[in-house]
Amino acid sequence: MNHYIVFVKKELLEYARTYKLLVMTVVFVIFGITNPLIAKLTPELISSFVPEGMTITIPEPSALDAWAQFFKNSQQVGLIVLVLVFSGVLSSEVAKGTLINLLTKGLSRQAVILAKYSAMALVWSWSVVISALLTWVYTVYLFPVDPLSNLVFSIFCLWLFGGFLLAVLLLGATLVRSNYGSLLVTGAGVLILTVLNVIPQAGKYNPTALVTKSMDLVAGTIGLPPLYASLGITAAATLALIGLAVLVFSKKQL
Amino acid sequence: MEILQEYWPFLLPLILAQLVLLITALMHVLKHQNYRFGSRTLWIIVVVFFQILGPVAYFVFGRGEDG
Repeated sequence: MNHYIVFVKKELLEYARTYKLLVMTVVFVIFGITNPLIAKLTPELISSFVPEGMTITIPEPSALDAWAQFFKNSQQVGLIVLVLVFSGVLSSEVAKGTLINLLTKGLSRQAVILAKYSAMALVWSWSVVISALLTWVYTVYLFPVDPLSNLVFSIFCLWLFGGFLLAVLLLGATLVRSNYGSLLVTGAGVLILTVLNVIPQAGKYNPTALVTKSMDLVAGTIGLPPLYASLGITAAATLALIGLAVLVFSKKQL
Repeated sequence: MEILQEYWPFLLPLILAQLVLLITALMHVLKHQNYRFGSRTLWIIVVVFFQILGPVAYFVFGRGEDG
């Protein structure tokens, strides 16, 4: 336990030193600010491109559009940046051999994996929270109050999906030696999940439901219950993946 | 200029965030000799001319090991 906390601290320091924390923070701060702004300015931009004499009616933007931007940005570029930033999570230290020193001094391998996952999850949580807060503040500033439902729950789903991806990434990092191996595993994982959605009944249980249904949730067209199955499965899968990563890493020749 | 007056609470922090990223990336490029690939000139161009994406790309792909 003690080792775990020390190693989490060391990881967080390392993220600060290697600019991972900075990149994540700045990217999500920029998202947070631009989400409402883009929602507000899009109609004006479109109308300035429409030729003279032509009239098109664009619906007045609302807080809902700002949150649509939030989910679109965090789910696409946001998750990609997250996975890219942490792609070298294990491989760089294994390659440099810095881990072996610590392990021979009695640091348990289990603590390494758990601490690495916790530290990544902390950075991800911080990024989601700061981006959501900024989007919220600026949306309130720009738009009249709109009835939004399930906003916090929807953000929680996004957060959980990110946590799931990090677990896939970490398992990938224990399985494959190279820096880009973990990326490949994560990419393949997402691809498989997306393809699985072709099966009619699978969508309900698929972790991807957590990020594809966000706007339905916020607009209030669906309630929470349709997502319970996916939520449970994603949480269980995340724990299982971390467990598997611990197992693989403890058997691994370094 | 109208848009500047109306949206300065957005634009100011945005520009600041970009500058922070640009300056830290540029300092890092200039202080270090080793990049995972590419040359110093390439990374300076990428960092300075591609907003947000340039510095992010540098830190994720280009930054060599410290030392």
